[in-house]
Amino acid sequence: MIHNYLFLSCILFCLGIVGVISRRNVFTVFMSIELMLNAANLAFVTFSRIHESMDGHVLAMMVMAVAAAEAALALAVVILLHKHKSKLDTNVFSLLKG
Amino acid sequence: MFEHVLSVIIFLPILAGVLLLVTPVSRNIARATGLIISLATLILSIDLYAGFAATGHLEFVEHLPWIPSLGISYYLGIDGISLFILMAASVLLPMVYLVFTTKERGYYANLLIVQGAMAGAVCAGDMILFYIFWEIMLLPVFFMLGLYGGPKRLPATLKITLYTIAGSLLMLAAIVYLGVSYHSQFNEWNFAIEKMAQLNLTGRVAVLAFFGFMIAFAIKIPLFPFHTWLPDAYTEAPTATTFVLSAIMAKIGVYGVIRFVVPVFDEQFARFAILLAYSGVIGMMYCGLAAIAQKDFKRMLAFSSASHMGIIALGVFCMNVQALTGSIYQIVAHATSTGVLFLFAGILEERTQTRTIADLGGIASKAPIFALFFAIAMLASVGLPGTSGFIGEFMIILGAVKFNAAIGVLAGTALIIGVCYMLWMFQRVFFEKTNAVSENFKDLSLVEGLTFLPVIILILVMGIYPQPFLSKITPSAALQFSQNAAVVAQTGTTNALLPELTIEQK
Amino acid sequence: MEQSVNYLGLIPLFPLLGAVVIGLLHVFASDKVKLPEKFYGLLACVGPVLSFILALKVFIALKALPVDSRNLSHIVFTWFSVGDLHINMGFLADPLSCLMLLFVTFIGSLIHIYSIGYMSGDKNYGKFFAYMNLFLGSMLVLVLGDSPVVMFVGWEGVGLCSYLLISFYSEDRNNVLAGNKAFIVNRIGDLGFVLGMAFLFWAIGAQGFGFIALKSHAAQLTGATSLLVCLLLFVGATGKSAQIPLYVWLPDAMAGPTPVSALIHAATMVTAGVYMVARFSFIYAPVELAGNIIAWVGILTALLAAIFGMYQDDIKKILAYSTVSQLGYMFAGVGVAAYSAGIFHVFTHAFFKALLFLGAGSVIYALHHEQNIWKMGGLKSKMPKTYITMVIGALALAGCPPFSGFFSKDEILYSALATGHFGIWMVGVLVAGMTAFYTFRMIFLVFHGTPRDQKAFDHAQESPNVMTVPLIILAVGALFAGFLNLPGIFGGSQMVSHWLAPSLTEHHPHASLFLEILAIGTSILAFVIGIKIAYSKFGQGATEPAFKGFANFAYHKFYVDELYNAIIVQPYKAIGASIWKTIDPNVTDGPVKAASKLYMTIGTAFKVFQVGYVRIYAIYMIVGLSLMTLFLSQSLN
Repeated sequence: MIHNYLFLSCILFCLGIVGVISRRNVFTVFMSIELMLNAANLAFVTFSRIHESMDGHVLAMMVMAVAAAEAALALAVVILLHKHKSKLDTNVFSLLKG
Repeated sequence: MFEHVLSVIIFLPILAGVLLLVTPVSRNIARATGLIISLATLILSIDLYAGFAATGHLEFVEHLPWIPSLGISYYLGIDGISLFILMAASVLLPMVYLVFTTKERGYYANLLIVQGAMAGAVCAGDMILFYIFWEIMLLPVFFMLGLYGGPKRLPATLKITLYTIAGSLLMLAAIVYLGVSYHSQFNEWNFAIEKMAQLNLTGRVAVLAFFGFMIAFAIKIPLFPFHTWLPDAYTEAPTATTFVLSAIMAKIGVYGVIRFVVPVFDEQFARFAILLAYSGVIGMMYCGLAAIAQKDFKRMLAFSSASHMGIIALGVFCMNVQALTGSIYQIVAHATSTGVLFLFAGILEERTQTRTIADLGGIASKAPIFALFFAIAMLASVGLPGTSGFIGEFMIILGAVKFNAAIGVLAGTALIIGVCYMLWMFQRVFFEKTNAVSENFKDLSLVEGLTFLPVIILILVMGIYPQPFLSKITPSAALQFSQNAAVVAQTGTTNALLPELTIEQK
Repeated sequence: MEQSVNYLGLIPLFPLLGAVVIGLLHVFASDKVKLPEKFYGLLACVGPVLSFILALKVFIALKALPVDSRNLSHIVFTWFSVGDLHINMGFLADPLSCLMLLFVTFIGSLIHIYSIGYMSGDKNYGKFFAYMNLFLGSMLVLVLGDSPVVMFVGWEGVGLCSYLLISFYSEDRNNVLAGNKAFIVNRIGDLGFVLGMAFLFWAIGAQGFGFIALKSHAAQLTGATSLLVCLLLFVGATGKSAQIPLYVWLPDAMAGPTPVSALIHAATMVTAGVYMVARFSFIYAPVELAGNIIAWVGILTALLAAIFGMYQDDIKKILAYSTVSQLGYMFAGVGVAAYSAGIFHVFTHAFFKALLFLGAGSVIYALHHEQNIWKMGGLKSKMPKTYITMVIGALALAGCPPFSGFFSKDEILYSALATGHFGIWMVGVLVAGMTAFYTFRMIFLVFHGTPRDQKAFDHAQESPNVMTVPLIILAVGALFAGFLNLPGIFGGSQMVSHWLAPSLTEHHPHASLFLEILAIGTSILAFVIGIKIAYSKFGQGATEPAFKGFANFAYHKFYVDELYNAIIVQPYKAIGASIWKTIDPNVTDGPVKAASKLYMTIGTAFKVFQVGYVRIYAIYMIVGLSLMTLFLSQSLN
């Protein structure tokens, strides 16, 4: 039954991907990324349980710490982006177009 | 004389240059620093020259392990070939600071760095060390040309940089190949240049490595058809940079051929020497012909310089001691004559604000001393006997005739081609009537005159009494051929391309 | 074999030092202190006169030695030495170079003295004398050099001075162009000289490259190589001595001051080619084919130049073509292996041609730089000294017995006849007649008849003594120099030939009284006919004719200059321009440009993926990651 957690993780991850690809609002994209991170966390914890080792837990804690730090940075970036263009549409920020 | 004199000659200018870059001193202090450092280097070099024993082997050797696991070491030393390039750099560079007084701090800093790097390249006895100095040499040129050059400097900078780096990377690959071959043949890591001569290199990869080196040096020299970066770079660069490029850096390319290609790739060299020699001689004629079409005197001198480099390179490819010695002698002669001509061109440009030959005229009557100096440097450049240009050119032609009669005859046309454009330019700039541009031309000031005087005297002394110089070169040049009999033995077969024109010995 | 002395090096050194001192004084001191002209002039004469005195000393020293060992050598230092190549800065005086030495320094000194008068008032007085001294020094190096390479130093040095002096009045573009032409044409010849030296060195030079060493090894030269060396060296001679096809520079060289024309372009430098061939007689003598080529080139040059000379109207151009023509004779002489005859003609020619040029200079000076003979006339009464001396020179040039030119020219024609070169002899006799014609055409038009330009005539007066005294001395030389080599038929003893014999490798043909009388008879006949035609046409005063047909063709020198311009100069420039404009940027730089274009194309092609939207990049990432995962899982299984 424990494998169902892995399916859930998979579904969450795919949802995250779809979110990143399809949504144009910066916040939604950001949230989707968080969703993917959490999907990975869930997989880590599940595998940790399957293999009966604490490594997965450690990594999950690590990811959460990183995600927190990332959130802080990302929100700062989002604020700057908003200041710059007054919009949060990702299509507006296309300076890298070749 | 002290133990680490070569290290001091190399690193004193580099350190001073870096210091100048990071400290916010005024331009005058920067110039004074440059002058003092370069004069100090000159004094050290003269000391070195006096102590040089002309044994033919490396002298003043410094040998410290650097990356022992790969056999790479900090290995310096000079022989009769590198000594003269080092001397040319040391003697000529102080002039730059005396003649051009209005440049920025960064410019002088870069000049110092390039001076140290060039000294490093000619003194290096280890291939990796050589490669590092070789690359460092390019950097200041990049900045001097890109930051302080003429209006079309950016394409020129891009071209010289990409060209040179492409060559350098080929050389790096070839160096690695040599190191690996040495490891596989002698079961030991070593990158010392003189060890490489023991290698037995055969096969297709060796040919590729040979061309890796050859192309890197051919670009630097520049040898036809790798010369196309030269006219733009020489023309757009500030005068002192052009001077450094033509008078010394190009010579390091020739030096590289003598030091790496001739002893290490003896078989490949003997096989392709005829090709290279044609490349040299065609380049000489090609650039000489292009020079006659120039309207800009700096660009004309650039082509003239390339033309001379062709014949200097030819001397190396002819595989006999006369041509090689002539070539090394011509390196110094060319540095003094064409280098000084570039400086004179800079003075002309600075005073008249034009580089177009047709705009000038009658300067000889306005500035007799300038005209006299210019004429002497010009005559040395066309190889008139009694000036430094003749000895080398004569020996190269002599050696070329021995190598291959057809190449010898073509090389001889250098006598005519050089005169055509030089006289034409001299006529249009110095003779005829003065016009509005040249009316107020000022003769050389006392400082300028005294700056150039030693070089002008050197040009004459080198033409009239060359033996003291030659006696320092000859042992090293002779050693190039005694080391590998194969090269000399092969000469006969290369000559066979034109048997009917090749004359028999006795 | 040879005796070492320590003063030979001083002979060229004196004028060279003079050049340096005068040159520096002129460049550095002329602005601040105005030195008097006389000071420069006298300073300039010191060097040549000292050299002349030393030349006499050399002559006396050589005379004292036994005939077979008349060699003085002076090695100053080792010039350069690499491998087998060992060149000394050394000087060699043997009978040949001694003869050259004597007349070069003698005539050089006279012309320096003459120049003091001729150049007075010129603002570049100091520069002129510096160049003249430099020239004389170079010429002496050429004459005394003990190896071909040292000779080449002088050879190029005189070429340089010639260039500098032709473009002396450098404000006029034409003068500078004439100078350029002289230098470049000479350089073409020098290419032959250098290559000749190179081949000679690799053939026999390894045991020593001095003339004496070369002479002792000359037998080792094999057929093809020696022919090659001979012809290459002769190319050098055609450049310096203005022979076909490189004669074109000499007439233009008359743009320089007249003493220059006399010293350089008549008496000394242009004869260097003949001297060189005689110097190398040990190589030339065995190679008959090379000799024949030289002789024919020489005599055809003589003919061509004589044709041109008959139609010129510039007094200096006439003399220039006559110089080319006489040089042709000299080459005909050395070509038929009569080296002493050729050198003897060099010797006499130096006197009478210098005399004629200086006389012409005197006329030009008197007429305020008018050179057109159709604007002169009747000057006989105004300038008696110039007139008499010039007539002596003209008679010597035309080959009137007993003037010097007669003996030397006759010697050459006789040698051609005696060695069986009838064609050369016949052309030579024809040219002798033409020489007499154009020489006296000039004399008649300048000095006889009535003045054609009355105003110039009224202002004309005899030149100062400083100019006429050298004329008189040269006239004496032109009169009597021929007696030095009086042939046996006139009861002479051929002193010059005997003197030269040890230096030259030549075989005198058996003397034949019949041939000798034939040669002399035809020469005199040619002279008489030539002068008679000249008198009948121009003796009583004539007006300038309009040249038509052949005359016009000859007046324009057969359009050879134009031809050279069209087939050499213009294509040369066009090639240069096309290399610079077309070939270099497109062909040579092509691969480089192609490489950069390739990178540009690839970059542009990949640009479409670079849309700039983060979402799209995310898709790329996911696709890439998926593919990687797929690939990894495949390969792990």
